[in-house]
Amino acid sequence: MNKKIKLRSLSIVIFLLFFTTISLIPFFWMISTSLKNSGALMAIPIEWIPKEVSYDAYIKIFTKIPFLQSLANSVLITLFSTMITLTSASMAAFIFAKFDFKYKKILFTLFLASLMIPIQVTGIPMFIILTKFQLTNTYLGVIAPSIFNVFAVFLLKQHMTNIPNAYIEAAVLDGAGFVKIFLKIVVPMSIIPLTTLFVINFMNYWNDYFWPLIILTDPNKMTLPVILSKMNSQYATEYNTLMAGALISLVPILVVYAFAQKYFISGIQEGGIK
Amino acid sequence: MKLLLMRNKKWIVLFLIPSVIGYMIFSLIPMIATVYLGFSSWDIISGKPEMIGLSNYIKIFTTKEFYQVMLNTLKYIVIYIPLMVVTSMFIAGLFNTDVKSVGVFRVLLFIPVLTSWVAGAMIWRTVLSSQYGLVNNFLAVFGIAGPGWLTDPKWSMVSIALVSVWKDIGFFSLIIFGGLRNINPSIIEAARVDGANRVNVFRYITFPMVTPTLFFVLVTAIINSFQLFPQVMVMTQGGSLGSTQVMVERIYTYGFKYYQMGYAAALALILFAMIMLITLIQMKLQKKWVYYE
Amino acid sequence: MKKMKVVVVALLVVMIMVSSCAGETQQTNQENGTQDNMEASTESSTDGTDGEAKDVEIVFMNYSSSGANEEVLGQMVEAFEAKNPSIKVDVRTYGFEDYFQQLATSIAGGMTPDVFELNIENFRAYASKGVLAKIDGIDTSNIHPTTLEAFAIDGQQYGLPTKFSNIVMIYNKDLFDQAGVDYPTNEWTWEEELQAATKIRAMGENYFGVYRPIQTWEFYKTVVQNGGSMMNEDQTEFTLNSPENVEALQMMIDRVNTYNVTPNMDQMGGMGDWDLFKSGRLGMLVTGIWAFSDFKDSIDFNWDIVIEPGIKQKATHFFSDAIVVSENTDKKAAAIEFASFISGSPEAAAIRLEANWDLPVALTDEVTQEYLAITPPENKQAVIDSLDYLVMAPSLEDFNAIADTLNDYLEQAVMEVLTPQEALDQAQEEISAQY
Repeated sequence: MNKKIKLRSLSIVIFLLFFTTISLIPFFWMISTSLKNSGALMAIPIEWIPKEVSYDAYIKIFTKIPFLQSLANSVLITLFSTMITLTSASMAAFIFAKFDFKYKKILFTLFLASLMIPIQVTGIPMFIILTKFQLTNTYLGVIAPSIFNVFAVFLLKQHMTNIPNAYIEAAVLDGAGFVKIFLKIVVPMSIIPLTTLFVINFMNYWNDYFWPLIILTDPNKMTLPVILSKMNSQYATEYNTLMAGALISLVPILVVYAFAQKYFISGIQEGGIK
Repeated sequence: MKLLLMRNKKWIVLFLIPSVIGYMIFSLIPMIATVYLGFSSWDIISGKPEMIGLSNYIKIFTTKEFYQVMLNTLKYIVIYIPLMVVTSMFIAGLFNTDVKSVGVFRVLLFIPVLTSWVAGAMIWRTVLSSQYGLVNNFLAVFGIAGPGWLTDPKWSMVSIALVSVWKDIGFFSLIIFGGLRNINPSIIEAARVDGANRVNVFRYITFPMVTPTLFFVLVTAIINSFQLFPQVMVMTQGGSLGSTQVMVERIYTYGFKYYQMGYAAALALILFAMIMLITLIQMKLQKKWVYYE
Repeated sequence: MKKMKVVVVALLVVMIMVSSCAGETQQTNQENGTQDNMEASTESSTDGTDGEAKDVEIVFMNYSSSGANEEVLGQMVEAFEAKNPSIKVDVRTYGFEDYFQQLATSIAGGMTPDVFELNIENFRAYASKGVLAKIDGIDTSNIHPTTLEAFAIDGQQYGLPTKFSNIVMIYNKDLFDQAGVDYPTNEWTWEEELQAATKIRAMGENYFGVYRPIQTWEFYKTVVQNGGSMMNEDQTEFTLNSPENVEALQMMIDRVNTYNVTPNMDQMGGMGDWDLFKSGRLGMLVTGIWAFSDFKDSIDFNWDIVIEPGIKQKATHFFSDAIVVSENTDKKAAAIEFASFISGSPEAAAIRLEANWDLPVALTDEVTQEYLAITPPENKQAVIDSLDYLVMAPSLEDFNAIADTLNDYLEQAVMEVLTPQEALDQAQEEISAQY
């Protein structure tokens, strides 16, 4: 019996190893390119290991742009946006999942509709609205749209629909209030989708480019992706800096994801039915 | 639930308010503005939009470009969606085993999701180069002459779809994995104890319970596919011979490069209508295969 | 439930009213914007001294300094502010890719920058929409006349050029040595070029002789080399499919498909043309002088330049960036002052030269001498000489759209879906009909 399990585990690992290695080939190329100096970037045959390792690109990033400042801005904006999204979305998802009211289907469909118009078109009206509220070039202006996130509402709704009503009804009979039920039963039982969304939203807000670009004009407030894109000159793309920047941007999200892993392992937390 | 409903109407409203307000400000108004713009001609920089009725729409439907673009998009969807869904499910299943190192792989496979398209596209352009790229060099070992993955109009969209699968697998398998994780292990154990084999467990327990998540994945993936954009911009710029031109690229170009925002808005609305139609169909079909308790 | 419905509907109504106000008052947005600016500038008066000297702050948006030259621009701004203590410049720099979208969005949102940058391609579009202020009363004697002309309409100046760059042929001396070919000279035509290119191509599968992109930008100049042109004399009609044009296009395509001294898409392997040259596998490259500073840093082999070869005559084109002033700003005087400084002042030209940041338009003899002294490349004189053969881009409001349409046809010709004659015929038909 043990042997069978071991064989199975081994084959899974081997397969994943193979698959991951192929998936990561471009990533290796990114690392390799980020360590080259400007000349050798596009040699043929493809140079996988740089002849001379050069840290030029990284040095440039750390010294020539307001790196720390933009990093701090990114962290601030991303964390706030993510928390706001999770809060607002789980609240709305709870209602959609567990209650029926007259225009529910229409409202939800309208919500979904917002995913269907590309931001290239909605960007300008959104910007104009923000100028009316005088929120351009403010952190609040950048964070504000996070209050409405259909993706999150949708995922949570799918999950919350399948939370057995029994738990909730029991709590009601016990005299628990609305908010208490939400906080003590629904949320804990949704920890997995919430974690998934935390990672995904963190990634999306961290990498968000278009919105911070048009809202923030003060370089001291700009986020990391925007600052990095300014490093491209009018004519040339410096691939090594581009890759280095992309790699640096990558790290925080991976860290967040790695930490979030343990919430997946723990599985469902049995709600408080005693 | 009726009990809860009757006593707590104010909470119900309160819980919805943040999203609804956000929706109205950041979604509804821009959408209304877009509808308005679709009937106008507006170059963005010199004042008010000028109403021109249905002209934009007539122009869109009477030029070849629109149909070519839709065909390209459909080609992409037909390749990308099935491949992505099946592979993600498979990988998610692997993630869900209790093999120790799986966690590491989860994180590693997420890396492509995180890489910006600019970086990713550059790399893929090199790897897929028909002369010097890894792929064709590899195929040559087996005596197969690989095509011009990105330069041949027949293959370009296929390549874009495949590269997109590469990028998105880590993402969707994470979501499906979350869905799998939510299945109460005791149910599965009980079934095993009762003598069910692996296949039956999957068929009658696991799969049904993961269908809500699958539905989510399908709907969002299709919506995203219709709005394919960054990979096309960076890998082929809409070439070759227009075989990778897609709607959003056209919208962006007409809006910001040709200063024809009204036309761009009209394009966006047509796109919207199509996506909405498909989504509504999916929502109707939900009943047939998605399992809600 | 009823209560909620009422609340929701009320909110919706309010929102719709707000949005319709927003839609209608696009124009007043701009006025409101300048209203705020005026208030701001009257509030921030200089310390103690009431009366004349009030601090004016102007917003300047640009793209050309992004990447390498933000500091250099900063130096210029400092020099300007030192000379004009009552004017403060708020510089906003964006990457070139994002700039035009950013600019358009700002204008749409009623936040037009007081002074901003435009390139030749987009200048006509902006100028013809009445968004640019007239620029008068500035001493432009310093400035190279062709560049001034590029930013004027019917003799009225709407922008002040700051820098320009033209196109030359850059060649890899070491490759030429290896192939045993004489270096290009200023007298070369496409004939000699083809001979040299063939010899270099023969060096091996991965070596190529010459590269020119086949798209509208290159096209409108190359046809002039053959005696043709994209439009007629007074730019009222398109002459895309003239025999000279067709011949020129055929020559460009032959280099790829017949002689293969120029790599085709597959052979490019996902690389850009500069990459190809920098990797030492390309003999000759027709490109802009802005390549110099990049090449200087990243190339190990010996290289130099010549005027690009002509066919029946020489022709080369140029690109330029200018600073324009918004029609709707109330700080025009300050804005024009700033534009004029960056454009024509000797101080700005000196800073630009030192940083090797393109060619200043203030081409006095002194500036020219200084420019020539900065090497590589050795033969910088070719840059100055090329100025004699400048061809200007057609000045069209819808240039972007026309260029893209023409590109589609050129692409079909290169990929041999259409013959050059067919491609240009169809292009002529479609473009003449639409524009």
